Amino acid sequence: MIWQVPRELPRFANKYAHRNPLLLSAVGLVNAKLGLKSPKYSLLSHDGSVIKAEALDLASAPSETLTAGTSDTLKLSFTVIDDESTDDQGVQPHQAFLRFWQEGGVEGIQPVKVSSSGKAKFELNVRRPPPGIPATTHGAILNVDLILGSFTYVSSTVPLFKLRLPPSLPVAPHPEEVIYHPKPAIYHTFKSEQRTPPPTISLVFVVIALSPWVLLFSLLSKLPIHIAPSSATAPFIALLVAFEGLIVWYWVDLRLGQVLTYGAVLAVFTAAAGKRALASI
Amino acid sequence: MAPPKLAVKANLSPFLTLWNSYYDETPSRLKVIDSFLIFIMASGIIQFAYCVLITTYPYNAFLSGPVRPHCSLRSQVNPTNREQFKGISPQRAFADFAVGSIVLHFFVFNFLG
Repeated sequence: MIWQVPRELPRFANKYAHRNPLLLSAVGLVNAKLGLKSPKYSLLSHDGSVIKAEALDLASAPSETLTAGTSDTLKLSFTVIDDESTDDQGVQPHQAFLRFWQEGGVEGIQPVKVSSSGKAKFELNVRRPPPGIPATTHGAILNVDLILGSFTYVSSTVPLFKLRLPPSLPVAPHPEEVIYHPKPAIYHTFKSEQRTPPPTISLVFVVIALSPWVLLFSLLSKLPIHIAPSSATAPFIALLVAFEGLIVWYWVDLRLGQVLTYGAVLAVFTAAAGKRALASI
Repeated sequence: MAPPKLAVKANLSPFLTLWNSYYDETPSRLKVIDSFLIFIMASGIIQFAYCVLITTYPYNAFLSGPVRPHCSLRSQVNPTNREQFKGISPQRAFADFAVGSIVLHFFVFNFLG
């Protein structure tokens, strides 16, 4: 029985294939489908007698549920073919796996060796199951799918049948499994917002903070100093004030590069004026 | 009756002596710098008291407050310290003070936020 794998062309191949005839032929290969010929299974007892042997009807798969006992052996055979060829040419895919999985549970992967002629056989001895078979506690039913992977053909997953195995021992938890348990939720505690004092207190302390200026002016007024800027010192004082103004401008608007540039220019003039002013004192 | 008055007068005289000596012997220019130093000290004390009593918010603005280079200027322009600062004239000291103040103000305004 030939079963056709659904066609699926990669988008990138479609985009570039039209511009390159060589690529077009390669795309034709990628576009080719894999088929299965004569998939069948047989269930054997411990003495080799056949309990059940049937061909798989993949069109209605996976409707059938196979039940294997503790001493039974399940054998599966099929041939992978190029569905496009007229003589059912056998094809060896790059990868072939049997996937045993439970809905909402664990899964296991078992590689299947496919010969160069496309023929494949798989044997499951329930007494000595391969490590790829997942644990079946409480007699859960496994879904069995065939996964075919190929660079030259469209890869696909083919549901085969359902399998009921004898209940297995529970899986011993890995010693590091607890590390992957959900951790308790993290609740960040952020620093509380800074509170500003009441406006009244702020105003009072503004007045108190400005009071040293009154003290300063009163002390200066008592000193016998005479401020009389001359032509030599006035430019220097003006440039110092300009420097302070530049710094205030930087505080409200300028960026660092700008203030450093303007400051460098101003510094040249200030240095010259300062040298002249201090030399005259 | 006389001894208590003499006792009171003896307690006040060291401060008065210090004040009179400072007032008489310190040049006016140094008194100007001293006035600024008193002003800075008073500002710093008030800012610190605000931080202790009320709030430290904004802390960066508080940090920008109390730093000043006046002390070095005063020590360098004091005529009695001329021997210790032979290579530094008062003009040079003031120029250093001006440059240092400009740089310091730049960093202070960066701290203000």
